[in-house]
Amino acid sequence: MKNLLEVKNLRTHFYTEDGIIPAVDGVDFSLKPGQTLGIVGESGCGKSITSMSVMRLIPNPPGKIVDGQITFDDRNLLTLSEAEMRKIRGNDIAMIFQEPMTSLNPVFTIGSQIMEAIMLHQKLDKKAAREKCIEMLNLVGIPRAAEIVDDYPHQFSGGMRQRVMIAMALSCNPKLLIADEPTTALDVTIQAQILELMKELKEKLNTAIMLITHDLGVVAEMADYIIVMYAGRVVEEANVYDLFEAPKHPYTVGLLNSKPNLQRTADRLEVIPGSVPNPLAIPPGCAFNPRCPHVMDICREEMPPLESIGGERKVRCWLHTKKEGAK
Amino acid sequence: MIKEDKKKKQQVDPNAGAKKEDVMGPWKIIWKRLLKNKLAMVGLATIIVVALLAIFAPYLTPHSPSAVNMAKTNAAPDNVNLLGTDDLGRDYLTRLFYGGRISLTVGLVSTSIRLLIGVTLGGIAGFYGKRVDNFIMRLADIFSCFPFLPIAITVVALLGPSIYNVMLVIGLLGWPGIARIVRGEILSLREREFMEAATALGISDFRKIMKHLLPNTMASIIVSATIGIAAAILTESALSYLGLGVAPPTPTWGNMLRSAENQFTLRFRWWLWIPPGLAIFIVVISLNLLGDGLRDALDPRLKQ
Amino acid sequence: MGKYIIRRLIQQIPILIGVSILLFTIFHFAPGNPLASLFSDPNMTPEQIQQLQEAYGFDRPAYEQYFDWLTNMLRGNFGRSIQLRQPVSVLIQERMWTTFQLAFGSLFLSLLIAIPIGVISATKQYSIFDYAGTIFALMGISIPSFFFALLMIRFFGIHLKWLPISGAQSPGIIYAFPYNIIDRARHMILPLAVLGLTGAGSLMRYTRSSMLEVIRQDYIRTARAKGLKEKVVIYKHALRNALIPVITLLGFSLPTLFSGAVIIEIMFVWPGMGRMQFNSVIQRDYPLLLGINMFLALLTLTGNLLADISYAFVDPRIRYD
Repeated sequence: MKNLLEVKNLRTHFYTEDGIIPAVDGVDFSLKPGQTLGIVGESGCGKSITSMSVMRLIPNPPGKIVDGQITFDDRNLLTLSEAEMRKIRGNDIAMIFQEPMTSLNPVFTIGSQIMEAIMLHQKLDKKAAREKCIEMLNLVGIPRAAEIVDDYPHQFSGGMRQRVMIAMALSCNPKLLIADEPTTALDVTIQAQILELMKELKEKLNTAIMLITHDLGVVAEMADYIIVMYAGRVVEEANVYDLFEAPKHPYTVGLLNSKPNLQRTADRLEVIPGSVPNPLAIPPGCAFNPRCPHVMDICREEMPPLESIGGERKVRCWLHTKKEGAK
Repeated sequence: MIKEDKKKKQQVDPNAGAKKEDVMGPWKIIWKRLLKNKLAMVGLATIIVVALLAIFAPYLTPHSPSAVNMAKTNAAPDNVNLLGTDDLGRDYLTRLFYGGRISLTVGLVSTSIRLLIGVTLGGIAGFYGKRVDNFIMRLADIFSCFPFLPIAITVVALLGPSIYNVMLVIGLLGWPGIARIVRGEILSLREREFMEAATALGISDFRKIMKHLLPNTMASIIVSATIGIAAAILTESALSYLGLGVAPPTPTWGNMLRSAENQFTLRFRWWLWIPPGLAIFIVVISLNLLGDGLRDALDPRLKQ
Repeated sequence: MGKYIIRRLIQQIPILIGVSILLFTIFHFAPGNPLASLFSDPNMTPEQIQQLQEAYGFDRPAYEQYFDWLTNMLRGNFGRSIQLRQPVSVLIQERMWTTFQLAFGSLFLSLLIAIPIGVISATKQYSIFDYAGTIFALMGISIPSFFFALLMIRFFGIHLKWLPISGAQSPGIIYAFPYNIIDRARHMILPLAVLGLTGAGSLMRYTRSSMLEVIRQDYIRTARAKGLKEKVVIYKHALRNALIPVITLLGFSLPTLFSGAVIIEIMFVWPGMGRMQFNSVIQRDYPLLLGINMFLALLTLTGNLLADISYAFVDPRIRYD
C-alpha cells in the first residue's frame, strides 16, 4: 500500500536569544492510510514539534523548518502556499491537543466552533453544517447533542471537551488525525473512554492516526507502529509487538522499565538516571550517552546512524550497529 | 508544542548561566538582561544625567535661580543666559536645573510615601486575609473612587499649595494600586511550600513577612515604583501649572510652564515654555522606558 | 444576571458610604472657614455672619452635619453653592453634558486609535510597526497633557489659525443650523485631540499585551489547525477574547478620563464641570467642591459597575458563575 504521509529528514530549529535549538533534527517516518503511528518520548524530545511541522504551524519566528520533505497524498507540504496549506488543515489533516480545557475558544459555543470548520471545508450552509455538527457530537458519544450544541466550553468537563475536540477534528473526514497527548490531561477512567472512542472511530472512518505521547500504555493500546524519539532524533522504530517484546535501544528499555507492569515481579520501578539533555548543549556522539548504562567510548564521539536490524526494525545505537572498518 | 519549548528554555537558563560564571545572583541576572535592553538603558542614562544636572546645579551655572535682573527681563537666549531670562530677568537655564531638583524630589518622596502605605497595607491584607483583607481592600476601593486630579486639586486647595502638601497628596491618594499588587502577590506566595516550611519552623509573622514574602514581591514593587515616580512628576507638574502645587518663587517645571499663559510668550518666546515642557516629557518617558525594561528583565516570561 | 447586578449594586453601598465619610472628613477638618470670603465683605454685620453660619449648619457638631448632608444627598439635594448661589445639583446638571461630550468623545477617539494599532502591533510583534506603535504609545503616556495642549494651541490655533482655542462655541454670534453644529465641532477638535491622543497610549499598550497573551493560547492553535485564514483567527477568535479585559479597563478608566478632562477644560476654557471645579477651588466654594467630588465618585462607582456588567456580557464564563 502507498504511504499516506512520508516525512524525510525533517529538521525544525528554534532560534532563541541563547542559541539555536535543534528541536527536530533529521526525523524520518511514514504512515499508511488507516494506520496508527505512535511517537513516543519524554517531553522536549521534539515529538510535538514534529507534529506541528506536519501541520506547518511552527511559529516563525522563533521556529523554522530548515530542511526535509513532508509528502502527504503525493504532495510535498513544505512547498505548498499558505492558502493551499489551509485547505489541508482541518480538512485532510486534523489535530487534537493535550489540553481540552484550553483548546476550545471560551467565548464561542461549541456548535459554532465545530460548524466553522464544516462550513469552511465542506461548503455547507449554516443549517446543514449544524446538522452535521450534531451528528458528529452524537458520533463521539455526547448525550443530548442537539441541546448542548449551543453551550459554551466552560459548561463541559475535560473528557467531554476532548470529545468535542474529536468531533471537531473528524467533522471533515480527515485522512490523518494528529493526536498530541490526547489523554494526558484527563482522569484515568476518562482516558480509557477517549482511547476507546478514538479506536472505534478510526475503524469506522478509516482515519490514519499519528499519536504523540509519553505514555507507553497508550501506544500499546492504540498504535500499529512506534517510533521512539530522543533529543530531536528517532532512536528506535518497530511495530508495536516487537518493541514491547524486545526493545533494542537502551533508552527504550529504560522507558519500558520505568513503567509498572503486572507481569513483572520486580519490587520497584527503575528510573532512567539523569535528565533530558539541555537542547542548547546536546552532548557529542549519541545524545543518550550520559544516561546510558551501556555507554562505550565510541558513543561519546560519534552519533550512531539509524540502521535497519532486520524486518521493519531500526535502531540508532552502537550496541547494534558496528562502525564500518572498526572491526 | 509551545509549552515544550518553554520548558526547554527554563532548563536552559540556570545551566547556561552556570557555564559562564560560577554563580549568578538573581539581581545580577536581571541587571544583565536590563543591559541588553537599549531603550531602557537610554532611559536610565537620561535619568542619571538629569539627576546629576539637578544635584550639581550650583556648580554648573554661574547664575543664581533667584537673582532678579530688571535690566534684562524676558531676554532671548544669548551667550550669558543660554536659555534667556524670565519676566524678572532670572536666568532660565539655571531655573530649569533647580526646577529639576524639585520635580525629582517630589517624584521620589511622594512615591516613597505611596510605597510605605501601599506595601504595608497590601502586605497586611495579603498576609492576614479574611476580615482584615476585606477591610483594607474596601478602603482601597474607596480611595480609588476619586478621579485623581480633581481630588488632588481639592485637597491641595484645602491644605494650601506647598511642596509638602503636593507630596503628601500624591502619596496618600496613590497607595491603593501598590497595595493591590502586593496583596495579590502575597496571597499567592502564602500558599507556596516554602511558607509552610516557615510556619513549621515556628517563624514569627513579622519575620515571615519581612524575610520571606516582601523580598519575593520586590520585582513588582520596583516596576510600579519606577512608573509611579513618572506619574508623580506628571501630577506635580500639572498641579504646579494650575498654581496649586509648588508656589513661586521656587522653580519647578510645572510652574515655569505657567509663563505660557501669557499669549505673547506662547507666541514669541519659545524658550520660556518649550524647555520645561520638554524636560518633563523627557524625564517621564525615560522613567517609563526604564520601568518597561525592568518589567521585562524581572519577568522575561511576559516579554514574549 | 439580574441577581448578579443586584448583588453588585448592594456591594457598592458600603463603598459609597465610605466615600462620603472620607470626603466629609477632608472638608470638615480642612483649615480655613468656607465662608471666609463672604466674611471679608465689609458690609456684613456679625449677625449676618452668624445667620449664614447657621444657614449652612457650620455651627453644629460634625456628625450632625454629616448626617444632614447625607440625608439631603439621598433626597437629591447636594447643597448650595456659596459663590454662584444656586443648588449644586443644578450647577452640575448644567455642566456635566459638556464635560461628557469631551470625556466620552475623547474615549471614543482613543479606542479608535488604540485598538487597531494595538492589535496589529501584537500580531506583528517586533516589527517596525510594533516599535513605532510602542513609541507612539509611550509618548502619549509621558507627555504632560497641558504641555501637549499648549503645543497644539500654539501650532493649530495661533500659528496656522485653523482652529479656535477656547470655549465651546464662538462668543457673541448665534449661527443658524448647520453652522452652529460646525462651530461647536470646530471648538471640540483641539481638546478632543489632546485628550484622545494622550489617552490612546495606555489603551494601546493594554490592547497589545492582552492580544499577545491571547494569541499564545491553545484555542488559537486550534483555530489555525482548523485551516482558518489568519485574519479570521486574529479578528474573530483572538480579538473577542483580547477585548474582554479592555472592556473592563474602560469601565475603570472613568476616573482617569475625568482627571484628564479637568486640566483640558481649564486650558481650553471649556464650560464643563472641571472648569467649574477649578473655579470653586479658587473661590473656596466648599459646598460646590464637595458636591462635585461626590458626584465624580458616584460616577466612578457607576463606571465600575458597568464594567462588571459588561464583562459578564462579553465573557460567557461569568454568566453562570
